[in-house]
Amino acid sequence: MTDFPKLTYEALTVGEEFVSDTHLVTPEDIEAYAFAVDDHQDLFTDPSAAGGQVAHPTLMANQALHLRHTKYIVHAGLHAKMEFNFVEPVRPGMRVRSRGRVIDKYEKRGRQYMVTEYVTENERGTALVRGQFTQMLIPEGTRHAGR
Amino acid sequence: MPVADAVAVGQELPSLQKDLSQRRIDVYSGVRPRSIHTDEAWAHAKGFRTTLAQGMMSTAYASELMTRLLGASFLAGGTLSMAFVRPVYAGDRLTVHGLVKETRREGARTRVVVEVWCENQHGEKTAAGTASGLTP
Repeated sequence: MTDFPKLTYEALTVGEEFVSDTHLVTPEDIEAYAFAVDDHQDLFTDPSAAGGQVAHPTLMANQALHLRHTKYIVHAGLHAKMEFNFVEPVRPGMRVRSRGRVIDKYEKRGRQYMVTEYVTENERGTALVRGQFTQMLIPEGTRHAGR
Repeated sequence: MPVADAVAVGQELPSLQKDLSQRRIDVYSGVRPRSIHTDEAWAHAKGFRTTLAQGMMSTAYASELMTRLLGASFLAGGTLSMAFVRPVYAGDRLTVHGLVKETRREGARTRVVVEVWCENQHGEKTAAGTASGLTP
């Protein structure tokens, strides 16, 4: 049994690592993503496309972004920055997972941020996407001043 | 004409328009209670006027600009970096822009560097960054 503590700036440790579950990429995942982002290019939707069907390069980004949910109850947060390096295409039938490591946390203008570097890889451990992202923490009991 | 020959510094890429319906946000983020993306009451409680699209959706739009320019080449060797500077709300319409900033040789191919940004229906910038990819 795993205990999930609440994510707080104080609880977070630079250097701590996360790993996601493995996800089997299906044609239905790609179809749903194409609808969500309204991108139906043949490259992504045609199984007979030259070179074989591929997924949108950002398909698995939420797997990486949600890494902190594998250890913590996350009250609320906002995504501040995202960086991708696309190494190899993600394809249907691949089993992919993401691993991440907290590389920084800082406070700026009264707000709290965490920075995570990550890699999404296939079942053979081949890197598909590398990158890093910055997330703002919204502490429990507070409101973000939405604009 | 090869892409490398067709792309020039200063060239604007064809813009994209994206309507951020709640339905698309729901599919992107997955419907959950206590989510600022899919639970309107929770979004209000967190200080937002309604539910927000995930910032990551804008990276998908910038990625689309690049795959429309470079095709599958963007998926192996492409880069994308974006900052999310203003919330995007359900019901917003974004226009996604790209401007070629640089081209440079990289081995036998050419890397195309593009400034990318999204604006909402009020002309406010919501996300901005840089993408690059290799010509086929």
